[in-house]
Formats: sequence, structure tokens, C-alpha cells
Amino acid sequence: MSTIAEPAPRSQARRRMRVDGWRWGGRIFLVFMLLYTALPMIWMLLTSIKSGFAAMQFPPQWWPDEPTLASYQKLLDPQNSVGQDFLRFFWNSLFVSTATTILSVIVAVPAAYAFSRFTFPGRNFLFFAVLLRNMFPAVIFLVPLFILMRAIGLVNTHGSLVLTYLTFGLPLAIWLLKGFYDNIPIQLEQAARIDGATRFQAFILIVMPLSAPGIIATAIYSFIGAWNEYIYAYTFLSKNDQLTLPVGIQRFFSENTTDFPGLMAASFMMSVPVVVLFLVLQRYFVRALTEGAVKH
Amino acid sequence: MAHVVLKDLVKTYGSFKAVNDVSLKVNDGEFVALVGPSGCGKTTTLNLVAGLIPITSGDIFIGDRVVNDLDPKDRDIAMVFQNYALYPQKSVYMNLAFPLQMRKLPKQEIDKKVREAARVLDMTQLLERKPRELSGGQQQRVALGRALVRDPAVFLMDEPLSNLDAKLRVQMRSEIKRFHQDLKATIIYVTHDQLEAVTMADRMAVMNGGYLQQYDSPAQVFAHPANMFVASFVGSPAMSLIPLEASTANGDTVLTSAEGWTLQLSQPNARKVQRATTKKVVLGARHSTIKLHKSAVPGAIPAKAYTVEPTGDVTFVQAFLSGAIVNVSVPPNIAVAPDEQIWLEFDQERMHLFDGETEMALKAN
Repeated sequence: MSTIAEPAPRSQARRRMRVDGWRWGGRIFLVFMLLYTALPMIWMLLTSIKSGFAAMQFPPQWWPDEPTLASYQKLLDPQNSVGQDFLRFFWNSLFVSTATTILSVIVAVPAAYAFSRFTFPGRNFLFFAVLLRNMFPAVIFLVPLFILMRAIGLVNTHGSLVLTYLTFGLPLAIWLLKGFYDNIPIQLEQAARIDGATRFQAFILIVMPLSAPGIIATAIYSFIGAWNEYIYAYTFLSKNDQLTLPVGIQRFFSENTTDFPGLMAASFMMSVPVVVLFLVLQRYFVRALTEGAVKH
Repeated sequence: MAHVVLKDLVKTYGSFKAVNDVSLKVNDGEFVALVGPSGCGKTTTLNLVAGLIPITSGDIFIGDRVVNDLDPKDRDIAMVFQNYALYPQKSVYMNLAFPLQMRKLPKQEIDKKVREAARVLDMTQLLERKPRELSGGQQQRVALGRALVRDPAVFLMDEPLSNLDAKLRVQMRSEIKRFHQDLKATIIYVTHDQLEAVTMADRMAVMNGGYLQQYDSPAQVFAHPANMFVASFVGSPAMSLIPLEASTANGDTVLTSAEGWTLQLSQPNARKVQRATTKKVVLGARHSTIKLHKSAVPGAIPAKAYTVEPTGDVTFVQAFLSGAIVNVSVPPNIAVAPDEQIWLEFDQERMHLFDGETEMALKAN
């Protein structure tokens, strides 16, 4: 870490003026961005604890007169049909996202390591081919993938989603991890191999622990991507008991009466796993994205 | 400890030959430096010995075993890397213990050996620290410790001092030398710094362009460089190499410069030149074998001082002769000014003569 050099005394006054001007501009911008991102979340939370009637009022109740957790109780109650659906959607999403994440790490870690360390015929071609998929908007592949999934009998299974999400998540995961492995000096593995480790042991015992932040970051990426995905889940799944949360929430609540507090409560709970993941793992996440940026 | 033999070692990358037919023997307990400019193949050679890269052809023996196809872990070697390659997530203790854990030694024995190594290297108080919490010199010492806990047959060192600052480098240089003397260890030491090789090694292998140029004791390499590359690489400032033309008339052999001056050779030197197959001869002279005169002296060659560099102990004067830079050292009490007329006298007994075409040293017999 470097420290900012003290400005020369002569120009100190003027320099401070200018810096402060920029700094205030920056602060105002940040406050604006904060409101822009936080207000919808706050509104979501507030609506979720209103009664159905209060949610529809105009002018709106800025703060609910009678806050209630009824929507949450309804959603989390397995005896209730709404609760049954919501919990099933939640479980489906969790299953699809977790499976996607685990598979993506299992494939991306060795792939990225190979791209980083080995030279083999077609290495560069393969490496860029991996990215090809990400050069097109996701929707372009919607129909082809649907036809493909139907041909191999995966329509209306969670497998179709896991496979599809892997094609989104893997390229990024491989690229991110490759950068990570590139930054781990090869001498560490060489030292381990001389110290008595096999190539595989050197990877497991030395390289893997060092790349843990990168693996965690790619896992979070995969998880969030799969957790929030809507259009493929909407296309590939039609049976109610298979739906994932984004589709489930949308379909369920638009088919029934528009229960805004319920919708908002469901949305809020949907965002909980992502937020928790971020809070728990954020220091790895930031480390992964800035790794190698400065000399340690 | 064991001896190491390289036999006709070759490493090619596509059509590029990184190591060309290198053969040399490192005796049991010997300290050998592989030295040369960057890209000369010295590190590749070391990595071949370590087994980190596969050899193209030739043989490597460690002890009496051919290790060509053995994994690094089975070669019974230890290596110290330029960037130390300490495991950043492990404490110093665990760094030292790792090679022993890999060999599945019992816990008490590992502990004993680690503490012993730490004691020898005077870093017992650092055992719980992480590598990033250590200074460069301490990291260096941990790397050395990790090599020595194992008690390997051969130590391989790849520029272990080049990341240290100048003062620490000199200090660690003597520590490694001491380490070699105490352990009677077989060490192969790669460096681009000829001074390290000269000061530390029992023998030095000078490499260039993938070829082994000369393999001998530092004193021999210094006194009798095999060719112009070795002559200019070993020694600081570099040996002056002056291209000249040889001719013999009336029994006298003289070297003539394109600038017009001539230098008459002594009998032994004349014999060397007469045996050469070419008239093009390069005269080599180290700074300390050239005498600087401030007035004309018979046999001395006139030149103009170009730069003057006082270092305190000695003052280096540079001049141009036949288009080549000539370094001369004079005592600090002799004042020479830039552009001053000087006369240079070569010591016939300590001058070197090279074939101007093959660049090899001319020999009397």
C-alpha cells in the first residue's frame, strides 16, 4: 500500500480547494447512487409488512400504520398452499443454483489450471472458444437450446437449467480463475514437487488453498447467476412444482390476485441468500477481483 | 551428499536449443556455480537437474543413479529459488516441515529437525510468522532452511541472492559459503553475477548461448580464459579486447593496429601468434596489467583518456584503442584528466591473445 505524498506547502491551499470540490461532487454522486439502489429495496421491505389494502392506497402510506408479518407467515407456512408453493420454489432454486455452482467449480478449477500452466495444441483457440458463448445475448440461444433439451429429453427437468447455467457461468469462472492461477508463481509448485509432492499434491496442497478466494468468488458468481435467472427457467419448465423462484413468484402472484405485500415478502426472502453470501464472503470476493493489482 | 554428472545434456524448444551438449561433473561436496548472461541456458540446466522440465537427450546422474525420468520428488534434491517460493499460507514452521511431512516422517522427528534447522539459521523466534511478515533476508534464510532440513544429496540454488539489496547480498554470500563449508554439501548454484561465482564457487561453469564455455576453478578461469566470451564475462571491469593484425618480419612478430601503432610481442607471445591460422589477433588485457604513463615510454602506446572514474581505492581510466574500450586502473594519487594524452604499456607476461576468427585463446603448444 502506498501513502499519498504530502503536497508542497506553497500550493497546499489551492490544492485543498480543488480536491474538496471533487470530493463533494463524488459524495453527492455516491449518495445519489445509494438512494437509487437502496430505495427500491426499502420500499420492497416496507410494502412487505403492510396489509394488502394499505399497499394499494394512494397517496401511499410512507410508513405502514399497522405493520404486520402476515405475508411472511403465510409464505413460510407449509400447511398453507401459498406457503407450500413458495417453499417448493425456494427449494428448487436452491437445488438448481447449488448444483450449478458445484459443477461449475469442479469443471472450472482444473480447466483454468490447465489453461494457466500447460501448453497443449489448440490452447489459445480453446481458451477463446470458451468465451464465444458470452459474445451473444442469452436470448439468441433460447430456441436452439430448447430444441436441444427436448431432443435429449431434459425439458421440464432441473438438469436442463443446470446445464444451461453452466454454459453461462463457466466461461467467466474459467477466465477469472485462470487469472488467479497466473498470479501464483509457478516456483511454488516447483518447490513443492522438489519437497516431495507429486504434481497433483502440489496442486491440492499449495495451489488450491492459495486460490480459495478466487474459487469462492467464482462460486458466488455462478450461484447468483443461477439464482436470479428468469428467461430460461421460464422457457424450459412448465410444471408448477418444478419452477424456480423468479418464475414461480412472477407466475404465482400474477395468476392469483395481485398480492403486493406477499409478492414483496417473497422477493425480499429471495434476495436473502444472495445478500448473506455476499456479507459472509465479501472479503474474498473483493480480494479475488483485485488480486494481482498491487505488488504484495 | 553425492556427485552429479551431466552427460551430453541437450534441451530444445522447437528449433531453439536452450542447452547444447553440456557435460560436466560436480564432485561430492563441491560448490559449482553455473554462470552466464541471461538466456545462456544456466537456469534451464538447473531445472533439468531438478527434473522440473524433461530433458531432450543426454543423461543426468545424481550419485550413481540415472535420474533422467525421475520425478523431482524422487531425485533427493533441494532447491532454493530466486523468489524463495515460500508457501505464503504456511508459517515458517510449516514451510520448514513441509518437505518432511511429504516424506511421512513421524511428528516428533519433524519437530526436532525443524527446530534444529531454525537454530542453525538463527530464526527460532520467527517460526510462527508467515513469510510475508519477514524481511527479504529472513525469507532467504527460510528458503535455505527448507532446503537443509531435508539433508538432500544435492542443493540446487537458482540466483538465491539476486532479490536482496547489495549489502545483504554480500552478507548472505558469506553465509551460504559458510553453510557449504560446514555441511560439505554438493551445491549447484546458478547466477548471472560473475562476482558471486568467483567468490563462492570451487569451480565455475561459464555458459553462453546454451554452450558450456569453460569449466574450471575461478582462479584458472580468471587467469586463463578459454575464449573471448569468458575473458570479457569474468572480471570487473571487463577485460579490454583490442582487435589487431599480426605480422612477422626479421624474426620479430608485431601486432599492428588499424590506427597505425604497433606492438612488438615477447618470444612466448610471438610463438602463440605464429601458431594461429589467422592474422587477425585480439589482444586481451585486464585493467591491472596495463601500465599508464603520462609521458612517452618505449613500447607504450599513445592514447587519450576518455573518462576517469575514481572509486577511492583505485581510479579507472578508460581510453579507446583500435576502436575498443580499454580499462586501466591507476593508484588514486595519480591524477588523470579527461582528454589528457596518456601512454599505455601492456604486460607481456599477463596479456591474453585470442584468435580473431574463432575467438578462442591462442596457445603456445
